[in-house]
Amino acid sequence: MSQALDQVKTEARRLLSEGLVDVFVGYKAADIPMHPQPAFISKADEADALVYDGFCANNLATYLPQLTRSTKIGMVVRGCEARAVNILALENQHSRENLFLVGVPCTGVLDWRKLTARFGENVSAAVDEGDTLQVTVDGKTQQLPRAEALHASCQRCQHPNPTWADLMIGEPLPEGDPERVWAQADEQIGKTKAERYAWFAHEAERCIRCYACREACPMCYCAECFVDHITPRWTESTTSPAGQHAWHITRAFHQTGRCVDCGACERACPMDIKMTYLTDKLNQDMQVKYGFVAGMDIETQAPFATFSLDDKDRFVE
Amino acid sequence: MAYILEKKNLSNFLTALAPEYQVFAPVKRGEYTQFEALTANEELALDDAHNTRVPPKALFLPMSETLMSYRPNGRAEMAALAEEKRVVFGMRPCDAQAVALLDTVFEAEDYNDPYWRQRRDNTLVFGLGCNQPCASCFCNSVESGPFSTLGQEVTLTDLGDAYYLQLNETKAEGLLEGLPKASPQQESEAQAIQKQAAESMPAPFKTAEVKAELDTNFNSAFWSEVSAACLGCGICTFLCPTCFCFDIVDEVQRSERVRNWDTCMFRVYSHETSGHNPRPTKRERTRQRVMHKFSYWLDHADQIGCTGCGRCVRYCPVGIDIRAIVRKAADLPLEVAHAG
Repeated sequence: MSQALDQVKTEARRLLSEGLVDVFVGYKAADIPMHPQPAFISKADEADALVYDGFCANNLATYLPQLTRSTKIGMVVRGCEARAVNILALENQHSRENLFLVGVPCTGVLDWRKLTARFGENVSAAVDEGDTLQVTVDGKTQQLPRAEALHASCQRCQHPNPTWADLMIGEPLPEGDPERVWAQADEQIGKTKAERYAWFAHEAERCIRCYACREACPMCYCAECFVDHITPRWTESTTSPAGQHAWHITRAFHQTGRCVDCGACERACPMDIKMTYLTDKLNQDMQVKYGFVAGMDIETQAPFATFSLDDKDRFVE
Repeated sequence: MAYILEKKNLSNFLTALAPEYQVFAPVKRGEYTQFEALTANEELALDDAHNTRVPPKALFLPMSETLMSYRPNGRAEMAALAEEKRVVFGMRPCDAQAVALLDTVFEAEDYNDPYWRQRRDNTLVFGLGCNQPCASCFCNSVESGPFSTLGQEVTLTDLGDAYYLQLNETKAEGLLEGLPKASPQQESEAQAIQKQAAESMPAPFKTAEVKAELDTNFNSAFWSEVSAACLGCGICTFLCPTCFCFDIVDEVQRSERVRNWDTCMFRVYSHETSGHNPRPTKRERTRQRVMHKFSYWLDHADQIGCTGCGRCVRYCPVGIDIRAIVRKAADLPLEVAHAG
């Protein structure tokens, strides 16, 4: 993905110097390896500080609802990010006319936790180049096939290419393997109810209620989240099973027909809680029952966000 | 006074404490470790150089703690204070120092917190120094170090096959009575390891000295820059060993009054009843987190409110690094330019 970096820099510089955008959203290097930081640059000469590789783990669309609608925004996007941008446009969260997307076909986000689990805490550098990662620990460089460090969501990814962009960098990649897409959802459905509940409880009960999953998610932009509502309180903020379960179920349900399976929620979680299996199942239902995949275009409303008088289910009468 | 505990005898040593003490130690859970009450021969995760994912402040200030329950007839029942005597084995010096720092909050003259105090009074801390500090550790920049003894009754140095136990507080002496005393040779071996560990850390950066720059630049654009990527989640503060804010709520379905961890990084934390929020954006909230640790703690306790454990650095989902913020703050001007 690093070949894309030079082109990202060039485009950011051009967009800013020509006044086509007020701010360009990309990534810059942070002080520790494997943790690039989302960057908001407003001067063309700052473009040299941009970085772009598989360790860029966030979904940058999460910042869109925070920026004022009159701001002209340039943003580098991958497949899942472009889909999230579409949904946010449909939900009226930004002004598409003021957006300039620089699209990059994505070879998948790298999971720094997999590298830490394998190489320990003291990885001093990890270079994402081609199919192999060069990982330096205590002065020694070792290699790891890139595929082994991919985040689980990216292993299931169907749409690595941005669905739309004002400018595309690089050649489109082949679509993902459809055999893999529901692997995680099917695995859960293959279990008994008791086993599923045990899995859910084990994951949810580790939660520390930091809401990093919510904040990392581009779809979670409510001015007041249901867990923050206090008059009346809608759910327990206590880390009791009741509170944890309510949070995890409701968070997932609010993503129905909206989740782009970018995996940003799971990557943000400080407790390694698995949660994409819930949204995967909802995505599967949306596709199987309604033929709908979230964010593939900018016109189609999610099934639960619309109704039709021709609906074969006559509940509206 | 110093003692030697052979690693092969560790399990027996901890088991022998069990009749009188509930023993907590780090155990592996998935890819991370956490302090748990030992029941039977769990494998301890003492060799991992890193800290437990959730800091051991949770042993004294639980994430959620029921303070009282109430009945429909209006009767309230206070929750009993934790009575059991405890040993926390293998707490890293940064985490132990944090607990000691928090004593100044929860055991202040006017605000003596019985829940905290009871647990602290009942607990003996066996600290485990860090032979190999992690890349994201910076204890040596915040008035601490990989073998700091603050907040520990006993400090352990890993000698390979044995632990060197240095007694810091006489109240733990009885627990060590059966152990052989350390020889002068073992003592110098431990000192060499401690020295080597301290020297292996990167050069310290300025922290307490930066207070003046931070105070002067309260309204600087600096805070917008360093907070731009912040998502506004609670990871940095919840995983912080010195962050102690809490919220007391009534869980009406269960008729309980509960104290839960809370954080200044949440919008609702400072949202006032009137609707006004004095910290309306991530800029003010990020500033609060940094200022509290590197300025306000110095005002109240004359100590930095950070012990350099590095959790906030490692687990921030957007790579925000408090070390970088403090380093950058050192370059801020000491005089504010007044407009017109």
